[in-house]
Amino acid sequence: MRGLHRWLWAMVAALVCALPGMAHHSFAAEFDANKTVTIKGVVSKVDWVNPHIFIYVDVKDANGKTTTWALQSLPPLFFRGSGLTKDVLMNKQEVTVTANPAKDGTQAYGFMTKLSYADGHVFSMSPADADPSLRQKGK
Amino acid sequence: MGLANHRTLTLGALAAAVLIAPLGAQAQTNYAAEAARNPGAASKPTPRTADGHPDLNGVWHHFFGIGTIQKVGDSFTVGGAFSPQSGALYNTPLGDSKPPYKAAAAEKVTLLDANQVKEDPALHCISPGVPRIGPPHQIVHTPKQVVFLYADSTGNQWRVIPLDGRAHSTDPETAATYNGDSVGHWDGDTLVVDVTRLTDETWLGDNGLFHSRRLHVTERLKRVGETIQYQVTMEDPEVFEKPWTLSRTLTLQPDALEEAAPCVDNDAGHYVTKEHHDNTR
Repeated sequence: MRGLHRWLWAMVAALVCALPGMAHHSFAAEFDANKTVTIKGVVSKVDWVNPHIFIYVDVKDANGKTTTWALQSLPPLFFRGSGLTKDVLMNKQEVTVTANPAKDGTQAYGFMTKLSYADGHVFSMSPADADPSLRQKGK
Repeated sequence: MGLANHRTLTLGALAAAVLIAPLGAQAQTNYAAEAARNPGAASKPTPRTADGHPDLNGVWHHFFGIGTIQKVGDSFTVGGAFSPQSGALYNTPLGDSKPPYKAAAAEKVTLLDANQVKEDPALHCISPGVPRIGPPHQIVHTPKQVVFLYADSTGNQWRVIPLDGRAHSTDPETAATYNGDSVGHWDGDTLVVDVTRLTDETWLGDNGLFHSRRLHVTERLKRVGETIQYQVTMEDPEVFEKPWTLSRTLTLQPDALEEAAPCVDNDAGHYVTKEHHDNTR
């Protein structure tokens, strides 16, 4: 038992020490994980392509001018059997999107971290966002 | 295939696995996920074709299409073989040995690996080629030939492998290609596929594992129940000290192979820094 405790503490210590390493995103060569932008708009196009699908969101500014954001997501095969399809994403509702912007300064280009609908349901990179209370609210 | 995804299990990855576990996601390889879909597969009967050879027909592997987006209530979230924390596939290491590069070649591997996001051909929609494309996703087995089908992230691929005893093409005008020139024969119950004429434009894995035009690949497939023991040996006397062999166990899958989505390299111009982008098979 004592050995097990020692091992567990070692794991906790390893975990804590390793946390800064979590910033090493595999997409970090392209997107800035330390910055987040939030936009509101409507999904106008989805490119169901390898190696990553792209979701395009039309965002209107105060003057009525539309900017189309290109948002990278995951490889198409990740969606296999999930029920999340191109048609589901193209549902004409207003969405709020958070994204990590491009490191190279390209405007309106980012990695999508969360797409939220007005009724509370989400498509998120973080499992914690699919919280049951949030889902109930969405019903 | 996760071919040559041989980076050591770092403390960070270990910690990520510990961190993910309570969230209910499973840290596992595609191969383990596929095995779980057909319990006891190796103990099932081994069907044979009319000519007595083990029947290799079937869908055996799905690349990494193991349902890594999950529906939770009305929401969708990431799970399976993907870590939301690290943004990377955290397939557990497949226990591969280290590729036995000669010293001079190893230096080039290090250099290519450091620039992987720019240099890795398969990350930019170029065919991974044999053997990086991995074991066949589907096999169509006839008495005179077997056909390997792949729904790869770079596009749909096929290899026609004659079993009629012919030798490799000796036509000097025949170009080297991504999937090479394959001929097959039976060694008892094992299908042996010999591959030559492979282009040196491909890598053997996503860590800068380049090879020369002298690459010679031998694949061995042995059906055991509803599994296939797949072994691939790479010989390249120009860059390797000795042959390099990797093994995988494939499991017969219940569903059909899906056509791969087209590959469009939207990222190429946007890489600024040099963090590795996992691109395993």
